[in-house]
Amino acid sequence: MASDFGLVSLVLALMITALVPLLFLKHAAFKTELNYNSFYFFFKISFFLILSAFIFLVISFVFSDFSILAVYENSHIDKPLFYKISGTWGNHEGSMLLFILVISLYGFLFILFSKNLNESLKSTTVFFQSIIQLIFLFFLIFTSNPFEKIIPVPNQGLGLNPILQDPLLAAHPPFLYLGYVGFSLLFSLLLAGLITNQYSANWASIAKRWIFLPWTFLTFGIALGSFWAYYELGWGGYWFWDPVENASLMPWIASTALIHSILVMEKAKKLFNWTAILAILTFVLSLFGTFLVRSGILNSVHAFANDPRRGFFILIIISALTFAAFVIFILKSSRQGKDNASYIFLSREFSILVNNYLLIFALTVVIIGTTYPILLSVFAGESISIGPKYYNTILAPFVFVFLILMAIGPYLKWGKNFFSVVRFKFINILLVSIFLTAIISFILQKQDIVFWLGIACSVYLIISIIYETYYLKFTNLNYGRLFSHAGFGLLIFSITLNYFFSKEFTTKIPLGGSANYQDFKITFVNSFSQKQKNYEELFGYYEVEKGSTKVSLKPSIRKYNQPEQFTSETSIKNQWLSDFYIAMDYSKDPSNGIGVRFYFNYFIGLIWFSFVLITLGGFLGFIQRKNEKSN
Amino acid sequence: MKNQIKIVILGLLVSIFIFIFYFGLGSNTKNNPQVMVFKKLPAIELRSLYDNNIKISLPRLNQEKFYIINIWASWCTPCRDEHPLLMKLGIEKKIKIFGINYKDNQASARSFLKDLGNPFYYVGIDPDGTNSIELGAYGVPETYIIDSKGIIVLKHVGPLNNDVYKKILTKIE
Amino acid sequence: MRFLFCIFLFIYFLSTQLAFSSLDREIEIYKNIRCLVCQGQSLNDSNSDFANDLKKIIKTKLDNNETDKQIYKYLVERYGDWILFDPPIKTKTMFLWLIPLLTLIIGFYILRKKISFSKD
Repeated sequence: MASDFGLVSLVLALMITALVPLLFLKHAAFKTELNYNSFYFFFKISFFLILSAFIFLVISFVFSDFSILAVYENSHIDKPLFYKISGTWGNHEGSMLLFILVISLYGFLFILFSKNLNESLKSTTVFFQSIIQLIFLFFLIFTSNPFEKIIPVPNQGLGLNPILQDPLLAAHPPFLYLGYVGFSLLFSLLLAGLITNQYSANWASIAKRWIFLPWTFLTFGIALGSFWAYYELGWGGYWFWDPVENASLMPWIASTALIHSILVMEKAKKLFNWTAILAILTFVLSLFGTFLVRSGILNSVHAFANDPRRGFFILIIISALTFAAFVIFILKSSRQGKDNASYIFLSREFSILVNNYLLIFALTVVIIGTTYPILLSVFAGESISIGPKYYNTILAPFVFVFLILMAIGPYLKWGKNFFSVVRFKFINILLVSIFLTAIISFILQKQDIVFWLGIACSVYLIISIIYETYYLKFTNLNYGRLFSHAGFGLLIFSITLNYFFSKEFTTKIPLGGSANYQDFKITFVNSFSQKQKNYEELFGYYEVEKGSTKVSLKPSIRKYNQPEQFTSETSIKNQWLSDFYIAMDYSKDPSNGIGVRFYFNYFIGLIWFSFVLITLGGFLGFIQRKNEKSN
Repeated sequence: MKNQIKIVILGLLVSIFIFIFYFGLGSNTKNNPQVMVFKKLPAIELRSLYDNNIKISLPRLNQEKFYIINIWASWCTPCRDEHPLLMKLGIEKKIKIFGINYKDNQASARSFLKDLGNPFYYVGIDPDGTNSIELGAYGVPETYIIDSKGIIVLKHVGPLNNDVYKKILTKIE
Repeated sequence: MRFLFCIFLFIYFLSTQLAFSSLDREIEIYKNIRCLVCQGQSLNDSNSDFANDLKKIIKTKLDNNETDKQIYKYLVERYGDWILFDPPIKTKTMFLWLIPLLTLIIGFYILRKKISFSKD
């Protein structure tokens, strides 16, 4: 029943969505007046229809309506309610519906919060957004119908994979979509600005909030994914340069460059063409990431609903949107010599130009690393892998340079060569950073160039931000920039420490026995079994001693019965920002001990805190109203 | 004028993009089982399933024009599925097949062959999997065709099917 | 400026070689080898039978004083380049490093064209 309502809502949504651009085109072609209110009204209706379809799908999952194929394949009567709900978007069809819902939501929010906007720009933006919505609705209904039926109706569902029953994993897709799918609005706003000849510094002021909002969500979505991988996958790591991780990182890097580029456009009235290119590129990368993840073209930890046929359709959609957008850009971009403008060396806009240069470099590395296996396989028929070492080796030096830039940049002025004035303070802060690095290096007994650079550069950034807040006497602070930049500095600082001082060690320990590794002693104290509704759990009680610290951990192994599957649940305890982390290995022969993996993750708590700071910075940037003078 | 050129170049770039990723969808970016083809079979020694004191070495040189190596196990369901084809090759077509029993219980292996028939000229055991890894296998079943010089002429990962069966016959005859 | 940057890069790459080799060699090798029956995990991060078997074989080779290169060669001969996470340095993979380098160079020249050294 719900499924029928759902499908009807979708079809209606498709029709109404089609109406929106038709109305607009009629107005454009015949130069008739567009009734703006009813125009926006139709778009809003389409949003509510898509929302209803989504709600009907959720209801179908909650009530285990196995007549729907997606529910049958991905849900189960015994699944807890929370996971039945999140199962709605834990499959290809449901998540595509969520994808479209976000496209529509952003259009809806745009209409709502652009009351004072010029009608021509506003309606043209809605026009483009409705086209994107329409394309994806076609894709959904004709190739990925979430309400597809299955006959005869099965009694029970298939979807009880325990690894997917996790709160963070449930939250991860909505945040990611509110992020990278949200870039669709900026894309539409850009095309609208170009077409209506209102692509100006004023456009940049309007666009800011529509880049900060999705960026903030995307940052948090990526952080959630990283955190989930850390505690769920059991390998002690938080970033693997896995193709699916990279798929979300690519739009993140592009949108970070875009935020800065829009600022230059607004404040220095330069970089118009480049900003336009970036705005298109950001959304295209979001779609490209979607393609990589869903088409089965890459092999990764997260295999997700791989279907080459759907992959092909997404490929066509990406190509069509890219082509159309760039054609509009070519025909309408400003040719008034604005972009042959010169940048005064050591002006603020110049530093952002260099920032974009470095970010694009990082983006190129991630794109090449992720797609090279595909290119090589197509052109040379060979398969290679590209692992973390490639990315770490190439990107590390640039991160260090980047940190220094982030420290200096905000002190520079728009339109002026201002370096001489603040040079004195720079030397001071630099000396303090070097001094602190030396102290840290001495205390922790680590001498290594990479370590020194990582600590010195991130400390340099953090100190200059602290200094700036004091220097400006806490007034006129650009909180968005301060928090996000400080967060990034702290992130690199903690990653550096984590990289050099984390420990890992794998061994077999019999019950009652213990093992030693460097200054750790792990004792397998006790074990205990317990039976739950759909699994049996074997807990191991371990005690880890490091010096005078004693930590108790209880990891477990679960044996699920439908289908029979073993999972290893980690046990993590944080002590002074570092984690003691244990996972057990299920072995067929526990007679000479159960395999155990121990990780000491140094300062990882600080890494999570940094992610939060950066996200907070994005949010503050979003809500910031009128700009402070030169910030 | 300049705009038109730009649009044409754009169109070309987009087409190249579609081309690359369309073929990417169809291509295999993963393991390439063909990497061992035309290479010499690595040397291994196999004890017999039926008498652990007997052992043979592979590759065999200049004895048969071609012979087959098949890695299998009694606990492996696809091995059961491909077994009839192996019987055809070994018994009907009289091709020498060397079986490698992978990480298996010897009694189960023997009764597997008793129940389904034994197409093998010799069955060796690989209790810890090291011999199979030496040959570049990573699961069961896998099948190799070796020529008289010890060169791997064909390698198939997964159970045999009719297409592979025909391919094998073409190579051998 | 560019010359200084090149020196910086050179020192950095040298130090990465040192930094990476200071960690436990056995674990480094396991981290560099793909578990072929898993979804993107390394041998170090996998508990599958295949991963454990392969780890045993590699441990034996390490005990026989084989070098990293010899071990990797053994694996690549049997499983192809795909089994190693570090991409091989061959003519076919040179674009992995060339393209980022090209981006750097082209970007640098674009930047240079845009600079003006006036005071205001």
